[in-house]
Amino acid sequence: MQSSPFSSDQTDILRSIVDRIIPEDDYPGAWKAGVGSYIERLIADREELVQQYELGLTACNEEAVAAHGHSLLELSESDRDTVLARIESGSVLTEWIFDPAEFFRMVVRHTMEGFYADPGNGGNLDGVAWKMVGFEVTA
Amino acid sequence: MKSFDVIIVGAGAGGGVAAGILSQAGKSVLLLERGKSLDFKDVGRDHLRNQRLSQYGVNAGPPLVGNPRVIIYPNGEKHVVDPTGAYHNNAATVGSGTRVYGGMAWRFLPDDFRMATKYGIPDGSSLADWPVTYEDLAPSYEKAEVEIGVSGDSASEGRHRPHRGPYPMPPVPMNNQGRILQKSAAALGWETQRIPLLINSVERDGRPACAGCQHCVGFACPVEAKNGTRNTMIARALASGNCTLQTEVMVERIDTDSAGKVTGLTYFNQSDERVSVQAQVVIVSGGAIETARLLLNSRSDRHPFGLGNGSDQVGRHLQGHYYAGAMGRMNDPIWDGIGPGTTTATIEFNHDNPHVVGGGLLADDFVMMPVLFQKRGAPEGIPSWGLKNKEWMRDSYRRSLFVTGPVHEIPSPDARVTIDPDVRDRWGIPVVRLSGTTHPETLRTFNFMNARAEEWLKASGADRIVQNQGGLWLSGGQHQAGTTRMGDDPKTSVTNPWGKVHGHDNLFVADGSLHVTNGGFNPVLTIYALAFRVADQIAKTW
Repeated sequence: MQSSPFSSDQTDILRSIVDRIIPEDDYPGAWKAGVGSYIERLIADREELVQQYELGLTACNEEAVAAHGHSLLELSESDRDTVLARIESGSVLTEWIFDPAEFFRMVVRHTMEGFYADPGNGGNLDGVAWKMVGFEVTA
Repeated sequence: MKSFDVIIVGAGAGGGVAAGILSQAGKSVLLLERGKSLDFKDVGRDHLRNQRLSQYGVNAGPPLVGNPRVIIYPNGEKHVVDPTGAYHNNAATVGSGTRVYGGMAWRFLPDDFRMATKYGIPDGSSLADWPVTYEDLAPSYEKAEVEIGVSGDSASEGRHRPHRGPYPMPPVPMNNQGRILQKSAAALGWETQRIPLLINSVERDGRPACAGCQHCVGFACPVEAKNGTRNTMIARALASGNCTLQTEVMVERIDTDSAGKVTGLTYFNQSDERVSVQAQVVIVSGGAIETARLLLNSRSDRHPFGLGNGSDQVGRHLQGHYYAGAMGRMNDPIWDGIGPGTTTATIEFNHDNPHVVGGGLLADDFVMMPVLFQKRGAPEGIPSWGLKNKEWMRDSYRRSLFVTGPVHEIPSPDARVTIDPDVRDRWGIPVVRLSGTTHPETLRTFNFMNARAEEWLKASGADRIVQNQGGLWLSGGQHQAGTTRMGDDPKTSVTNPWGKVHGHDNLFVADGSLHVTNGGFNPVLTIYALAFRVADQIAKTW
């Protein structure tokens, strides 16, 4: 196992975000499907990306505190969605030193890649996303 | 100094064919390839690092580090890019793109060779007729189909295509999407045909039939049913005992003597040592971007602007293909999971369309990776994340119908490969600088073809149709062509109609660089056919 580039607080925030990008229903949500491992592996050797994530995750959480008085993890799903939608639209309450919308788009992109790409990349555990959409590998 | 009859630069579609012909004709051949030879496992099945989706890497070369290119965007911004960026990458491996292609094996149509005569020359474009006709090239097309191996159904080819004999193999199995598209096209009064593929539909040449897998285009074949140069012409070249293949080498320059005659070339071997070798004949087959680079980098007192570049034509007219198309959603699942997936095409709109120049092919697509489907984006009204997006993925993947195809590009002399004055690769060789865009007429044809794609989907019963998006940009990539176009006049072309560089007796080009225009079709069969034509002529007259 590789060591995570994130603190446990940052990991919690990441999980609370990616699980709203791909929530659990009859099929697992992003985190259970391995999206966290995918992102950790993707950015591991790229200091610039690690830094973006660290700053971005903290900023997302501060946005939740500013709007609802609680950290992201403590918010209801719908309140979390409201916070994330605000970040996505760029109309944030707190001071960001980079473009919030761009950060959010990157997290969405990485979450989708982790969920839908091949399990060899660390996400899509047991091909669960492929089972969901119906992509079958026969040869 | 070592000496060979022939040195070929690049073991791709063109170079592989030339190596096969000339070594079987008894010539000693040195075949140089900058990439590695890759087996199935080496190519792998990484959905984010492959020739179809190079999000973070590539699966058939070149390495991300040490092989930069420079691109100048229309707004003047300059970027140094690796093969995952705006690099216009073609695979760098033994077989090059033919190692990982989908293998559509289209002949161009007779009118594709006479675009300027048929349509006139749009202002600012370098649209021109080929110096050869379809009839001139037909025997070489046939040779390529037989020697490399094409499956198809000539009986399904309708009134828009010259009559031809049967393909070497029957077509690969039909699938659901193909049956739906055949029916709806017929209702529209459009002809469809089975898609000729460089894929074994039956056992042939000691290799099995297609296994129907879901990782065809962009990947290597798990059962070696896909026919490229690596498992045909290069294999035969090596079996002849006359061909030496060196991989992971990089050619620096073509050498000339004081009279300006080509004498051989200088390259970096696997140990990165600079080596010079002599040859009677040099054939450049690096693909339209690297071929132009090598000619431009081979400057000397006698050739101050590079080889073949006395008329400032080398590197101009870079073309690839805009892909028109549309995706829609059917009422019920249509995915039957049988690869390669692409079965059915219409050439109804390759020519004679109202108010546009040329046209293009439309066809159903190869089995699409789920992550690529996701990246195409959801239709309007579907959010880009959240439960609704997940539900859309789950409900739509197997219901989606996609038709797409290459648009015949209208070339611009300003879509160019030049040499960047500053940036060098890991061997210290000046790298390619890409600049310009296609001619605006290409975009008009693209829009026209998008509308035809939507029409086809609507007639098939699809809703939520999303057309492909286009803007004015440089086109090259896997279908790169046109940078050393052939012609009769040295003022407007780089080679003669036999691929021989004007002003030289022993320097040839055999790859997509020769294409005057790039057809509204995947170009590989034409690259093959031209390489057969060029190499056969060399063998015949020597």
